[in-house]
Amino acid sequence: MPTRNITLALLGWCAALAVSLAAAAPLHDLYICASNSRGTRVIGFKDTSLNGVYRREADGSFTHLGLNHPMTLSVTFDPRDARLFYVASLSGILRTPDGGQTWRVATDWDVTEPKSVVVDPNDPDTVYAGVPDGFIVSRDRGLTWVRAERGLPERGKYTQVVQVDRTHAGRVLIGCETGIYLTEDGAKSWRHVFTCAATVEDLQQSPHDPLFWLAVTQADGALQSRDGGFSWTKLAGVPAEHALYNVAFDALNPQRLALASWTYGLLTSEDGGRTWVERNAGLPVPHRVWRTAIDPDTGRLYAAVLDQALFVSDDFGRTWKAGGMEGSRITGFTFVPRAAR
Amino acid sequence: MKTKFFPALVLSIAAAVSMRAQPSFAGPMPSPAVEPDADVRREAYHQRINEVLHWYSAQAKPGVPYGREVILAKLALREDRAEVSRSVITYMKDPGTGPFWMFPVVAMSLLGQDQLTPAAKQALRDMWRTTYQVRGDTENHWAMYYISLYLISELYPNEPAETWYTGKSSAENLAEAREYLIHWMDLATTVGQGEFNPTGYIAEYAVPLSYLSTWAKDPAMRLRGHMMLDLLFSELAENSLNGMLRGPNARTDEGNVIERWNAITSYFNWLLFGNTVPPAGYGGFGMFFALAAKNYDVPEVMYRIAVDRDRDFVARDLKRTRRRWRLSDQLMPPIYKTSYMRKDYAAGSYQGGLADPIQTHVWDVTWAVPDPRGVHNTMFSLHPYSSNDSMQMYFSTFPEPMIPNLAVEGKPSYDTPTKVVGSSPYERVFQDRDTVIALYDIPPGTRFPQINGFFSKDLVNLTEDKSGWIFAQGGNTYLAYRPLAAYKWIPYLHRNGGWAKEEKNLGGQLLVSEFLKNGTIVQAASADEFRSFAAFQAAINSLPLEFKLEPVPVVKMTTLRGTRVVFTYGQAPLVNGARLDYSKWKLFESPYLNAEKGSRRITISYGRMQRVLDFSVPSITESATPTP
Repeated sequence: MPTRNITLALLGWCAALAVSLAAAAPLHDLYICASNSRGTRVIGFKDTSLNGVYRREADGSFTHLGLNHPMTLSVTFDPRDARLFYVASLSGILRTPDGGQTWRVATDWDVTEPKSVVVDPNDPDTVYAGVPDGFIVSRDRGLTWVRAERGLPERGKYTQVVQVDRTHAGRVLIGCETGIYLTEDGAKSWRHVFTCAATVEDLQQSPHDPLFWLAVTQADGALQSRDGGFSWTKLAGVPAEHALYNVAFDALNPQRLALASWTYGLLTSEDGGRTWVERNAGLPVPHRVWRTAIDPDTGRLYAAVLDQALFVSDDFGRTWKAGGMEGSRITGFTFVPRAAR
Repeated sequence: MKTKFFPALVLSIAAAVSMRAQPSFAGPMPSPAVEPDADVRREAYHQRINEVLHWYSAQAKPGVPYGREVILAKLALREDRAEVSRSVITYMKDPGTGPFWMFPVVAMSLLGQDQLTPAAKQALRDMWRTTYQVRGDTENHWAMYYISLYLISELYPNEPAETWYTGKSSAENLAEAREYLIHWMDLATTVGQGEFNPTGYIAEYAVPLSYLSTWAKDPAMRLRGHMMLDLLFSELAENSLNGMLRGPNARTDEGNVIERWNAITSYFNWLLFGNTVPPAGYGGFGMFFALAAKNYDVPEVMYRIAVDRDRDFVARDLKRTRRRWRLSDQLMPPIYKTSYMRKDYAAGSYQGGLADPIQTHVWDVTWAVPDPRGVHNTMFSLHPYSSNDSMQMYFSTFPEPMIPNLAVEGKPSYDTPTKVVGSSPYERVFQDRDTVIALYDIPPGTRFPQINGFFSKDLVNLTEDKSGWIFAQGGNTYLAYRPLAAYKWIPYLHRNGGWAKEEKNLGGQLLVSEFLKNGTIVQAASADEFRSFAAFQAAINSLPLEFKLEPVPVVKMTTLRGTRVVFTYGQAPLVNGARLDYSKWKLFESPYLNAEKGSRRITISYGRMQRVLDFSVPSITESATPTP
């Protein structure tokens, strides 16, 4: 019947497109934040490991960039020039204007342990960062930073994750101890859009539908929003007894999603989030998956297993192989369009 | 994220050097006699400093580049300049990172200004450009980090951003460091210090502060460093019993909390006041203080507080918890600390609850002994709390990884039911002089639902009385311990420090009570107050005492000192019918240390002597009021 034929044709076209995209030069560079001390780093002890920001090379290896920092969590790039990037680190926001050749601790003494840093793609002079005691913003390409917490609670504003709506300058969602907050005016004011029992660990905007967002939490399972983050509902089928650490969309296939968790390991969905399965066979035991990501160019699935290695799967978690970074603790994946290089 | 931790360094340094004889460590206890002559005191102080420096200098091995401590000792003693310079260059070839690395390197630069070769100085300078220095995540880290950054930026002024690992100019580094340090001093002198009365971390404050007070070019910052040292050491003097710091302690460890003397605080008491012996290796970090210690004159008022007390006294201090990032309605809730000091013993406590997530010691009664080495001269109870919530309150971390990581990050005992260090959100404490009441209301499902009471191997005449009281004697102190629920005894297994994974049976017992609603009462008294131990027991048994555990623990009693107390879990205690008002707690209130909350002005007193630290100016004013 025609509908079935069209569907099959579309599927075939998608598959062909995926293959051709995979064969072509990647459109994105992958950067990761990683530490390699296998969880044994102690301030005051000699640490010979190399840590910080790494970039994936064409052969799949990872090259360390610039500064050896023992704890980095998040990296974000200026879309106009990817040599300018920012790193959320134990000591504050680190800024490099030249691809990691030189660095500056861009924040002052009063900012510690930022968890997440994001450039606004539609207003790239503006950079946002979540910190344990709230939220900060820079409006001059990361040179100076100020608090931007109007509308956030005095307590309960521990901010784990920041995501900018790619379709609107100044529209930002943050995941905090007390839930999800939204600003539509570049962090001049915030409103509480969802209340959680414990920290919201990750937020992601669908690459297919900008109104579709997913969040994962420490105690409320996974959440979805179909209206750009104004309202949220629980995503059935995702376990909620233990914390979920992050969530990833597949830019090539809107049906594919992945979740990382200390307890559950790697969970995937191939039906847009309706059903989920554990994809831990082939991962080290215990499968403490700290971070997951899906390559926007190839659909390759990544699982960063705590202090073990990076693992990759080209069949969406059915089989895994080592992907380098042995012994690492990968705390963030960022795919950067090569056009910005 | 959690980052740790100095005692391991201390232990490693101490362990490395402890095999060689150290005069004071191995020698007899010093005479308790008070030395009235300031010149004699100063000379003895300088002799002790020299003992440390010479002992470390003597650790040099022929033909081997000097290690960090030897380099520093020889710089302080102005010895072997050529080899010291060569060793500095070697040392700088493998730089470390972070506040613990920074301050000794700063000391090398400052001590070596007129001793090191240009090449050695350049090697030191280059490190600040080439090697990123991590700031850390606690107040002791930040004190070390920012004092180091301040001093090194002052030493190399007017240098551009690209010559510093921060990417900031000398002036920017200096301004940031100065601003943080003044902010921290403001906090400490208005609402109280966070890592209060630490048994180990005192060095992380005292050492960099001694460098600030010695080498800061800005006279105001130099003075501030000196004033903070005065404050730190005055508190140490007031809170130590014969040179031994007792509880409560914001941060301590399994070794220090049991063998109370065997902490670096004893090194400072030995060095400053000469009233005890130092631990092995001079406490490890002690040598870093000795480098600049001659610049610090111990004020007589402080010396007298340490060694020449003429009365029993109560001290009440205001402190604050470590920063709580979440799961709390306050960033740094107040700590209301009480201390009662007598010749034979001391009792100390705060009101309970979490201060630091792992290393807090909430209360104890500790007795004096002629020679404290190897003696476990303390008594206390605690709920061995272990929780991911607590980790998340204080650390910016996911819920699960922290506790497993503690095993490799220096806190292997944290998640064990028989631990003897730690605070609990389910403990409430009230103290009236030498009476301590600790109440526990542990929710069902809490990990380790039990109370651990520590009974030392050094107690004698341990008696389980049919009244329910447990009587014992430690030194010249009679102790009465009343568990409020049934209990059992298990052997106490000792860990010789926070990092120790091995447990040793050195004697002693833990009283373990596995009831969620629970409590402990401890009443202490001097043996001199009673004609016999039996008379003490009779006096305790005659005290009016009622308690119940449901629906919440309540104790209604009259103490040995005649104070009527009604203490209900979750409520402010009633003392002689009046509700205890913590809001009136001052920053310091005792015969020796006094300050209003928010004042930035601390008065240190002894007899006619007075020393006022006014951080709002800043200034130090000494006076001696006329004899009436």
